[in-house]
Amino acid sequence: MIMKIEESGMGSFKFTDPDDMREWVRDKKSRFLESKLMTEQEAIERFVKDGDYLAFDLAVLVRGPSSLEREIVRQRKKNLFLAGKFSFLDCALLVAGGCVTRIDCGFMGGGASHFRAIEKGEVEVIEWSNGTISARFLAGALGLPFIPWRGLMGTETFKHSAAKIAIDPFTGKRITLLPALNPDVALIHANQCDVYGNARLFGPGCTPIEVATASKRVIISTEEIIDIEEIRKAPAKTTIPYYMVDAVVLAPFGGHPGSVPGLYDADFEHMNEFFKAEKDSALMEKYLDKYVHHCKDHQEYLDKIGKSKLEELKRKEIREGYYE
Amino acid sequence: MNKKLAYTPEEMMICTAARLIPDKTTCFIGYGIPQIVIILAQKLYAPNACQVYEFGAIGPQIVIPFRRGMFSDSRNNYRSVAWTYMNTMFAHACLGYIDYGFLGAAQVDPYGNINSTQIGFDHSRPKIRFPGSGGANDVASYCWKTFLIMKHEKERFVKKLDFLTSPGYLDGPDAREKAGLPRGGGPYRVITSIALFGFDEKTKYMELLALAPEYSKEDVFKNMNFEPLVAKKIEELKPPTEEELRLLREEIDPDRGIIGRI
Repeated sequence: MIMKIEESGMGSFKFTDPDDMREWVRDKKSRFLESKLMTEQEAIERFVKDGDYLAFDLAVLVRGPSSLEREIVRQRKKNLFLAGKFSFLDCALLVAGGCVTRIDCGFMGGGASHFRAIEKGEVEVIEWSNGTISARFLAGALGLPFIPWRGLMGTETFKHSAAKIAIDPFTGKRITLLPALNPDVALIHANQCDVYGNARLFGPGCTPIEVATASKRVIISTEEIIDIEEIRKAPAKTTIPYYMVDAVVLAPFGGHPGSVPGLYDADFEHMNEFFKAEKDSALMEKYLDKYVHHCKDHQEYLDKIGKSKLEELKRKEIREGYYE
Repeated sequence: MNKKLAYTPEEMMICTAARLIPDKTTCFIGYGIPQIVIILAQKLYAPNACQVYEFGAIGPQIVIPFRRGMFSDSRNNYRSVAWTYMNTMFAHACLGYIDYGFLGAAQVDPYGNINSTQIGFDHSRPKIRFPGSGGANDVASYCWKTFLIMKHEKERFVKKLDFLTSPGYLDGPDAREKAGLPRGGGPYRVITSIALFGFDEKTKYMELLALAPEYSKEDVFKNMNFEPLVAKKIEELKPPTEEELRLLREEIDPDRGIIGRI
């Protein structure tokens, strides 16, 4: 029986053949329990190339890999294709930094830099939703070429996606086929991780497991490095196992200016500084110089934010439920 | 258009919405006003309504005073019954576990389709770009009934959307099912500061159900780009009660970040 395709979205997408992905995993992913601890500079230099498809889990607002995103801007990576799902300042920062030419749009919140670039036609957008991008990660994580799904039909979001609508051979109803998404690189911020990459994420979230599983390279930034003995004593707490992980970067306050729930609150004052800088490109250039280009690394960035501010954010945070 | 009243347009919308949430239901809550609506509803009208969020929190008891601008932080996640992930939450909705969805939008058309993507018809060069669907397309596709809460402005009520982001009844009866969307879902109520709309059972066209105090049918119509159907009997919405206003202004949103000031 031929599965009939009734409609196709006109958007472009990151194509991955599941067999190519399997071979990549066979050839490029180390099974050896070895330390992957490195600086953010080394991690981004080694694993993010111009033109890559980049995914992150959660966003600048909450438990996002903000320090790694800043490092991408610092290294002036170009032509990235972003999974802009449940994002907050992420798209704005990376677009303002000149790193992005295409975005898969779930939600591109915060800011205005990316909106301006889209309005000028400098950044191409392919429309999805938070749910359908999550499902595409799930398909990628399952090693499938696509996943059937019951959303997007009847909308222009579908028309500007890269999904297809087919007749389901079992029910005879129309069903959306979402192409799997296997990013080149995933950036994930963890609460705790050992040097091998066994990572713990506390609290609810988007798709950390799917994104880590589906991506060719995984960079974990972590608030804290813990010993593997601690991991082995409570294995149920491990969110991502070591063999998916290519780099582990120690980044206390790596989610700043967002919150890491259970650890520190968001820095609204700093976010407002970002929003003000978004009013025009000269102001944004100044912001990027101050907080990205003129900081050698994440530590220098934190020095600029200041210890008393960081302590205050820690004091304000609710801890209940996260580190128990 | 806003008249001098003892409450803000936001307070009117929030109170109207809160009273419409039945108890012992599940509610898919979006960013901003819906967060306040569910807090108020749980305090006064629907103590056993369960909030669920796209980022995986099920049944949280949000810390008040509510802090505007945060979503999925520890105050939002507080005392949940479960912390899961996004694919889990949309699967629950797709399976039929979620009764009500709460959405906002830049534009709505007579069939309750909504736009949160852009102003301008050219997708490659929008006049004004917005954040995009977010979870709205998913919520509008899978929840049994969706509430739309939005400002009553003429340019928001349009015959034809600049971009159809999330499905209402598409172009009429049975269109959702024909398109392949799950059977039986769709928009339920549109709540503005001056009116309450439903959708006609037969035609699925938007229908004026009730008016806010001090506002006439003409006030509503002249601030829309299409004329909705009109219910046989137009009800009058009650203004916010003293108790609702006290809760909103003193306990839930004392900074008035969302409810605004008179």
